[in-house]
Amino acid sequence: MTDITPPRWADRILRLLLEPQHRESFSGDLLEEYRESIHPARGRRRAQRWYVRQVGALAWRQNRVWGLLLGASFVGRTAVDWLMPTTQFQVRSMVLTALSVAILLGAGFWAVRRSKSLGAGALGGLATVVVAGLVDAVGAMLLLALSHDPQTLDAIRQSGGLGEVFALPWLVAGPGIAFASLGGVAGRAAAGSAPSRR
Amino acid sequence: MAKVLGAFEQAVLLAVLRLGNEAYGRAISREVQIRLERQIASGAVHATLVRLERKGLLTSHLGPGTVVRAGRPRRYYTLDPAGHRALEAARTAVDTLWRGFEVPAEGRT
Repeated sequence: MTDITPPRWADRILRLLLEPQHRESFSGDLLEEYRESIHPARGRRRAQRWYVRQVGALAWRQNRVWGLLLGASFVGRTAVDWLMPTTQFQVRSMVLTALSVAILLGAGFWAVRRSKSLGAGALGGLATVVVAGLVDAVGAMLLLALSHDPQTLDAIRQSGGLGEVFALPWLVAGPGIAFASLGGVAGRAAAGSAPSRR
Repeated sequence: MAKVLGAFEQAVLLAVLRLGNEAYGRAISREVQIRLERQIASGAVHATLVRLERKGLLTSHLGPGTVVRAGRPRRYYTLDPAGHRALEAARTAVDTLWRGFEVPAEGRT
């Protein structure tokens, strides 16, 4: 029984997501269910998928607000560029950049404040970017479905094209993780000064 | 009037109550799934337990680990008096909504 183990990387991510006081007990609950129920009933491969889904669901639960905020920012920028065409994108770019940095700093800050682990900042940043990328893609497709007259299509071309809209969240993944890690450093300091819970 | 518990919070608190001394994370999660008759991510139950404990409706303590858990401890939950009161308030709120109203068991035909 003890040689039945879930994917090690998923277990590491799970531990990064959890508060220290729940790290052992909750990961123990999942391991117990994995070994006693899921693995015997579904086999190794499907059991591993189940474990990864449980970890993914927890990551989504903890980062969805930041991801949705970042995604909404991207969709908002896209809507403004398409519906209010301009040739001067500097102010819009600055606003979106400042907003994105603030959101990613916040995501990293809260992730590390909760888990007291610096790695959680980068993980929070990655999860935020992934959620934002999906929201951005869905939002852009909805915008396109609602507004695709020649004037809007021209505005899309002027603002960089559809490719840029879909690629932007993934292009900022690296800097995004870096900013979230930076927020995480502040979160670690805040966690150190806050009264500890049981 | 205190904020009434959500349906999922009630399900978790009732699972803790039903399980008594055996109310730890995995057992609570299983009990909630049986009662609600649907699959629920363990993380959802865990997040609710943490929230209810912060609200002062539950307390918890660590118990010994087992071999199948790789020695990781179980966290056992107990309902606080405030938790009992919150459950009673939730039930009263539902009873008040239904007072004087009957729904035929098999619907109207």
